[in-house]
Amino acid sequence: MTLSVVRQMTEQTPGPRNVVVKFRLGQVFGEPGQAAQQRTILRDALGAVDRIEEAGGVLDLPYRWKREVYEEADAR
Amino acid sequence: MARWWNRLQSAVYTRLHWINALYARVAGTKEVEIPLPPLVPLARPLNQARIGVVTAAGVHLESQQPFDMDDSEGDSSFRVLPADALPADLTITHDYYDHRAADRDLNLIYPVERLGDLAARGEIGGVAPRHVGMMGHLYGAQWTRLNRDTAAQIADVFREDEVDLVLAVPG
Repeated sequence: MTLSVVRQMTEQTPGPRNVVVKFRLGQVFGEPGQAAQQRTILRDALGAVDRIEEAGGVLDLPYRWKREVYEEADAR
Repeated sequence: MARWWNRLQSAVYTRLHWINALYARVAGTKEVEIPLPPLVPLARPLNQARIGVVTAAGVHLESQQPFDMDDSEGDSSFRVLPADALPADLTITHDYYDHRAADRDLNLIYPVERLGDLAARGEIGGVAPRHVGMMGHLYGAQWTRLNRDTAAQIADVFREDEVDLVLAVPG
């Protein structure tokens, strides 16, 4: 499964399952020290296993840079 | 190309998302045609699966040889990273993205601690005992070598450890 912050790059060299989140280069899982955010992205990325049904499929995560609240993830 | 110039460029395009999208369009596909890998169902459900990480963000142990920043085509070698390596034992050698944030928290590009969190919560079966560090930004002979040799060698590492799913994470 590939992760990426640039959808066009994923489309050039897709893996069997692909996840895109529009974050900065070098910060696929978010911000330093934000474990809840990082777990949320990771958990959702792993969810692609069940959601992608064709090889090369891409799951776009909806998160916006610094405009989300990730409290629920830590409450699990 | 001088390393300072590469670092300066990376600091700019790390913050300008549209440049990366444009670059991907202009650069097009690489010299080697890569067939689309098949979609293989997981042998076990996620809560029983062992998960590994390949990070292309230039992560390696301090004790390992750094990636070659002098070859303009990159460095297609890889480093095996023990899952129990401490963050203080790991470092990043990669001039083609701004990794100041990842230097503070490797989980941004090497989420092994976060995988451990999910394993502790029973959401995944476990974390692979070994992961792999390599670098993106590969061209020419280095890109060819990655596809011809290195990728299969990396796959062997995970196959030996009976890993069910590998996350390929960029820098």
